[in-house]
Amino acid sequence: MAKLTINDLKKIKEKVHKEMSLRDGERRVKVTVHMGTCGIASGAKEVMDTLLQEIEAAGANDVVVTTSGCMGLCSREPLVTVEVLNKEPIKYEYMNSNKMRQVFKRHILDGEIQTPFVLARGSEVIK
Amino acid sequence: MKVFRSHLLICGGTGCQASGQPAVKKALLEELDKRGLAEEIKVVETGCNGFCALGPIMVIYPEGVIYVSLKPEDMPELIEEHLIKGRTVERLLYHEPTTDEIIPTMQDIPFFAHQELRVLKNRGLIDPEKIEEYIARDGYAGMAKALTEMKPEQIVQEILDSGLRGRGGAGFPTGLKWKFAAQSKSDVKYVLCNADEGDPGAFMDRSVLEADPHAVLEGMVIAAKAIGSKQGYIYCRAEYPLAIHRLNVAIDQAHKAGLLGKDILGTGFDFDLEIYQGAGAFVCGEETALMTSIEGKRGMPRPRPPFPAVAGLWQKPSILNNVETLANVGQIMLRGAKWYSSIGTEKSKGTKVFALTGDVNNVGLVEVPMGTKLGTIVYDIGGGIPKGKKFKAAQLGGPSGGCIPVQHLNAPVDYEKVVELGAIMGSGGLIVMNEDKCAVDMARFFMDFCQDESCGKCTPCREGTKRMLDILTNITHGKGKEGDIELLEEMAEVIKNAALCGLGQTAPNPVLSTIRYFRKEYEDHIRNHRCAAAVCSSLFKSPCQHTCPIEMDIPSYIALIRAERFEDAYKVLLQTNPFPSVCGRVCDHKCQSKCRRGNMDESIAIKFLKRFITDNAPRPKIEAVPVTRKEKIAVVGAGPAGLTAARDLALRGYKVTVFEELNKAGGMLVWGIPAYRLPRNILEGEIDDIRALGVEIKLNTRVGKDITFAKLEKDFDFVYLATGAHKSQKMGVTGEDLKNVFGGVEFLRDFNNNEDKWLKGQKTLGKKVVVIGGGNSAIDAARVALRLGNEVTILYRRLRQDMPAAEEEIKAAEEEGIKIDYLVAPLKIDGAKGKVASITCQRMKLGDFDNSGRKKPVAVEGSEFTLKVDAIIAAIGQVPDMSFIDKKTGVEINKWDCYNVGKGFKTRTDNPRYFAGGDAVTGPDTVIAAIGAGHQAADDIDASIRQANGERAYERPESEKIDIPLIIDEETEELPQMAMPEMHHDTRKKSFAEVELGFKREDAIKEACRCLRCDASV
Amino acid sequence: MKAEDNELLKEFTSGQIDKLNKIISKHKGKPGSLIPVLEEAQVCLEYLPLSVQKKIAKDLNLPLSRVYGVVTFYSFFTMTPRGKHTVRVCLGTACYVRGGKALSETLQKEFGIREGETTPDRMFTLETIRCLGACGLGPVVVVDEDVHGRVKPSKVKEILAQYS
Repeated sequence: MAKLTINDLKKIKEKVHKEMSLRDGERRVKVTVHMGTCGIASGAKEVMDTLLQEIEAAGANDVVVTTSGCMGLCSREPLVTVEVLNKEPIKYEYMNSNKMRQVFKRHILDGEIQTPFVLARGSEVIK
Repeated sequence: MKVFRSHLLICGGTGCQASGQPAVKKALLEELDKRGLAEEIKVVETGCNGFCALGPIMVIYPEGVIYVSLKPEDMPELIEEHLIKGRTVERLLYHEPTTDEIIPTMQDIPFFAHQELRVLKNRGLIDPEKIEEYIARDGYAGMAKALTEMKPEQIVQEILDSGLRGRGGAGFPTGLKWKFAAQSKSDVKYVLCNADEGDPGAFMDRSVLEADPHAVLEGMVIAAKAIGSKQGYIYCRAEYPLAIHRLNVAIDQAHKAGLLGKDILGTGFDFDLEIYQGAGAFVCGEETALMTSIEGKRGMPRPRPPFPAVAGLWQKPSILNNVETLANVGQIMLRGAKWYSSIGTEKSKGTKVFALTGDVNNVGLVEVPMGTKLGTIVYDIGGGIPKGKKFKAAQLGGPSGGCIPVQHLNAPVDYEKVVELGAIMGSGGLIVMNEDKCAVDMARFFMDFCQDESCGKCTPCREGTKRMLDILTNITHGKGKEGDIELLEEMAEVIKNAALCGLGQTAPNPVLSTIRYFRKEYEDHIRNHRCAAAVCSSLFKSPCQHTCPIEMDIPSYIALIRAERFEDAYKVLLQTNPFPSVCGRVCDHKCQSKCRRGNMDESIAIKFLKRFITDNAPRPKIEAVPVTRKEKIAVVGAGPAGLTAARDLALRGYKVTVFEELNKAGGMLVWGIPAYRLPRNILEGEIDDIRALGVEIKLNTRVGKDITFAKLEKDFDFVYLATGAHKSQKMGVTGEDLKNVFGGVEFLRDFNNNEDKWLKGQKTLGKKVVVIGGGNSAIDAARVALRLGNEVTILYRRLRQDMPAAEEEIKAAEEEGIKIDYLVAPLKIDGAKGKVASITCQRMKLGDFDNSGRKKPVAVEGSEFTLKVDAIIAAIGQVPDMSFIDKKTGVEINKWDCYNVGKGFKTRTDNPRYFAGGDAVTGPDTVIAAIGAGHQAADDIDASIRQANGERAYERPESEKIDIPLIIDEETEELPQMAMPEMHHDTRKKSFAEVELGFKREDAIKEACRCLRCDASV
Repeated sequence: MKAEDNELLKEFTSGQIDKLNKIISKHKGKPGSLIPVLEEAQVCLEYLPLSVQKKIAKDLNLPLSRVYGVVTFYSFFTMTPRGKHTVRVCLGTACYVRGGKALSETLQKEFGIREGETTPDRMFTLETIRCLGACGLGPVVVVDEDVHGRVKPSKVKEILAQYS
């Protein structure tokens, strides 16, 4: 990355925002695995590995996987957020490899939210 | 071509494979082979069908039935039922999830809804390893503003105006710290970040560093600009490898992007920083110790002054801020001091992040405005205490802090209030403790920590913590002495005043705060060797026995059940309890609440096992005890307390006469508890045994009326008053005196006394009955009314979890069809034709917390509504009826309408010839508490007689030696508590026959085997 | 190889000593370099006996007392050899209130050693630790780098079986 100026900060902000809402086939779904120490200790890494394997096996190249830190509710971890383009994010709790497989196949690929594993929809509100 | 009658499609996907498909498939094939079905039925392994979490999955065609979560041991049943008999196996069937289930939004979830995110605004939203994502959420914009638009003095002023205070613990104003360092003249200055989060139970800093590392870097650059520094360090503990990794990535990216290093953002400002890994020493969280540690030495604090702002790291002016403090800085620059100080309290601005842990349902990171109520954090955000346990205290500030007990749940949490309550804000570790935690043990735990982490430089801390720990350890081992508490307090003051650094000065806090709020617990440990929480294991054999008010030898009788020696088990019961078959049915089983097995899966069914013994072993034969002593004793009241005292005294050779006003003995056991919970013959059997010892019970004799106090005093040497609490409390609403408005116990007493008339319909409630209250009496009255054919509704002013009634009773009432309406309180009762006609009620909502840790019901204006009723039963509590007491006896009645027990005595009243106990002293309590009171009274009366005669204290005769087998299982498998078989609710609600049917022999033995035998010392 | 390294060769391989030399020369001359050197040395050598401390003191030109003082001050450093795996039971407050103590007792029974000791076969070293910040998952046991959360005493055997 080149050295930034103040103007660059704004550009980066706009660019990332644009990417987030971009309506192209390349990023249909964004999956965030919440991986703080707490998440990893309760199995987030296995969940992540499973997800990556499933994506590869299915050749689903419109699914972007990212990690993030603790979402705050450590006792429900591992937590995974699935964001299908133009839909509300869905947060899944107490994930494990098999639940991740199921969420991948039924929700990410087929669009059926797996309600029994859902913690909530939407995001936290910054006041 | 072969034709198969069925195809079994067993999923071979990764998920199913992982959950044991191979073993299931093997079992399936073997079973088919065994039954010769291999030719008719084809097994096909298929690819994944997506229900991976329910695996292994099998679909049976042609029916298309889906079976899920299969286990090898399910195969025989599945084949037998489905493939041979053609019946589906319900328990293994796949159930379509209800599609109309509403998914809550994040704001619907109280854990998130009550939070206000500032420091944590990026949590879970950005990839901490991508600087762009941080920038996209206004990252580094505050820094850009500070570097380009603001002079150092303006930055300092902005921070001062914001009111930001150090989030590391002491709450020193951050702006002031910066101001001092900015004023120091030096070519080299340092900005340090304290990420040595050593407080046990605190993980805010770790989480911020892991989730949003750039926020800390940004804060440090701004701080550097403010004080004129070019070099910074982040001191992070080595126990946080992920945080260090993410910080390194962030620093590297920031470097590459020109946001760190030379000429930041092209503004000409230089600042660089390094991570310094701590090597594990709690004291290094103290600022001067941390600096010494970075210098490569033992991390010992140094005296101040000089303050770090003048001479800090390597004797250069330095500022040290905590992670959370720094994470606030960027946003203050961007959005301004005014925005920041718009929330919080007068002296504590902004938000605070808490690490909420311990005995609370939602464990996690919580960011709330300063001044949020403790109760909101624990109950609304934290979701309350698991397993219905009670809140005891919240520990705030770790080893330097203190605890805040239940009566302060309404306290607004900010720096000042927390200090006032004896804790400190600390870095924000908030550990919730339930009733199973011992205050002394917690104090010992923290003192152990401080003693261990004391660096040893100054004597008060090094020696003082050690001495305090010794005393605390002694107390928890039952070796405490009178004066220990005062000594602890004295030493605490000395250490607070004389220690060199924050660690020492705050180390006594947990001790002082637990003494402040739980002094009784300390005294109980020292004087009675009792640990009410059953934690200090040196004080007892087993938690269950220690918790039982009469210390029944529970592990022994359970072991005897396991060994199938039921007769011996019965003998063990009778050693301490004259009413084991009663207690086996109606005891509130406090013992089970502390059962160690409960930490693993569920507690042992101690109560039911006790009943099993009395149901299945012959009752040991009772012979009359010869009267060997000249003193005569009168007992007033034939309830469990009076009868227990009578039995104990008779066993010691006294002549005892019990006077009972009513026509049956048993007190509340017969008049208050309905027969479907306690069959009358069971109770009578145990009372007969007391008679058989030689105790005379005179029924229909009211003391003060049928026999005067003067006569009593003439005929007897001592009197035990155990008259109970048999009068219902008034609701205090108009119309309460109308016909068909009953008190709970009065109704039950009337019913039990005139059962025939009620059953024949000569007495009746009408049709629609409302019961008011949430205790056991309310439930009893409701269930009796229901059995009399009424339509019953219980009105309760709080919520179900707040009801004092036993959970199993509430559940039974619901099953039987009793409606319970919560958050309702009565306002007035109206009558017609001299009889009750309707009740007007008001809806309640929950407000602040009361001293019991429950939220107080508050009336909702305009929510009045009226119910048409035929009868009202008000069971909101009972008080003793003291109208019979003759003032001349000198027995004082206190303001709660109970007997006053003389100072320094447990049972003796103000007249040394009168003793008192049970509900009439304590107010309404349990059967087991009454039995305990009876034992105590017998001990005290006997002791007082012997003392007056100059005799030696009573020695319990050697009881028959019963050898207790010790079998401890190597492996313990998780297994729930054995359920009590019950009569179906459709049948039972029409009769007064006993609802609970009792364990079968094999069930009892199985349940007894679950006991972990924590009494055993190996 | 220098003569003074002979003492070291009794306990460490020459490859390890080479690494140690590299660590020392990397940090030498920087202010406050002692602790980073010791941290890296311990990672490479697993423990820091007196022989290693002497070498570090000499090479960094520090009195041995200073090195020894630092090694004994910080809990991260150890002077005795360790097991192949380190089992740490968290006894931070949150874990303590959730049953960490019982867990530690189970492990002591399982290994037949006390806290701070290493099993005779040098497979496991048992330690307690003062809070890992994974309080949400208490009680926590850390085996090497793996954090196991919500551990019950009955699950201890199962966890240990993964390490051999």
